[in-house]
Amino acid sequence: MTDLERRFARWTALFYPADYRRTRGSELVDTYLSLAAPDRRRPSPADIADLAAGGLSQHLRTARGLGPGFRLAGLLALTTATTCATGWAILEALAPTPSWSLQVGPFLSLAVAAWAAWLLAAVVYVAASGRWFRWAAGLAVLVTAFIVPAAALTGLPRPPLSVLLPQIVLGVVALGAAGQRLWWVRLMPIAAAAAILPIAIGTAPTLDFISGYYDLAATALPAAAVTLLIGALLIALGLAARRDYRGTWAMLILLTPIGMLAVNPLGAVLDDSGPGRAMIPAWSSMVVASVLVAMIGPMLLPLALVARGQLSAGRRPPGPGHCPTCGASSTSA
Amino acid sequence: MFPYTFVADILCRVETPLREPTFLILTALAGEPMHGYGLIAEVARLSDGRISLRPGTLYGALDRLVDAGLVAVDHEEIVDGRLRRYYRLTEPGGELLAAETERMRRNVKAATTRLRAVKAAPRPSRGFA
Repeated sequence: MTDLERRFARWTALFYPADYRRTRGSELVDTYLSLAAPDRRRPSPADIADLAAGGLSQHLRTARGLGPGFRLAGLLALTTATTCATGWAILEALAPTPSWSLQVGPFLSLAVAAWAAWLLAAVVYVAASGRWFRWAAGLAVLVTAFIVPAAALTGLPRPPLSVLLPQIVLGVVALGAAGQRLWWVRLMPIAAAAAILPIAIGTAPTLDFISGYYDLAATALPAAAVTLLIGALLIALGLAARRDYRGTWAMLILLTPIGMLAVNPLGAVLDDSGPGRAMIPAWSSMVVASVLVAMIGPMLLPLALVARGQLSAGRRPPGPGHCPTCGASSTSA
Repeated sequence: MFPYTFVADILCRVETPLREPTFLILTALAGEPMHGYGLIAEVARLSDGRISLRPGTLYGALDRLVDAGLVAVDHEEIVDGRLRRYYRLTEPGGELLAAETERMRRNVKAATTRLRAVKAAPRPSRGFA
């Protein structure tokens, strides 16, 4: 085996799933070697980039249930986002407006536009095609993200970032919900919103801007995170018992929005500014918690894909004395 | 090859009109079964060197075409101790290639007719007399 072949075999072993390497690794390396100039000793950066892209494509190709997992995660995220938006919209409409602050017509803040956009997206999800839903959910994400600069420009009040950020992340995941065909599945977000309605209507008049947005962000959103976590976990376990792994992928995808919903308690864990645990932690701790969730959460899915590819089909990766490309024993009989 | 996968879910339905590399891979295989390196060289020749496939990209495309039933493994041989796998066009692959070629031929004919008409017609005057 030449140096070049060994190096190609190592890169292939790094990027490609084990099963694929066993069946196609030798063929792939042979093709790279046939294309290489005679004096070449190392793979070119373009070859390595091609191996990385091809390997990623194979990891996605062999991940059973990943596509349906995105759809399931999207449905659960949309249900959570619609429920939250309903609660916040009722708060905007029914909570007494503070005398010390500017107000947006009869509403508490600019965010009423975002909550309305989310409720519209849920209706579009029931009534229109997946393409229209993607437009509606995309618009809701943009409107929610636009609340912060709009409030800065106009001086009008807006909810804290700990309310807006989870909604944006839920919205991005919810884009995957498009394409569900069963009517009762499409009704789930609206049904969850209807279920929360009596509680929201009963509670909102007793709250104001601070006790509504800030206190509920520290209590109701972590409760939503726990509910979503338990729900996703139960679905994942139930489906896995039937060898259906879409719930497991959905669980991994949902960990980022779950982390964002729970950013208050996560920030409190990191907050060491005073004795005891703060209900609303310091802003810097919340920023650190959000950054950690935003960095670690999205990495879990590719890491799980790679780990699954390396140890797929219950086989161990080839050890010493085995070809790193095809896994066959290098000792002759 | 894979009974149900993410890519089977999304990409197995090979989109038409075919992208040029896919069209050229099918065209290359229409002649005779070929292995990976032979396919890369043939696609480069067919495209006058414009399209130079890399192995990772080629095998990704081949897997997709195999999943879609347009291409199949023809035979394998060992060369210098390494496996070399030959691919061939299947009957549905040939039909798709023929349909795509016919579609492109009609487009070429329509464009050629229009261009001839433009050349034959007198140019309209752009300025003032």
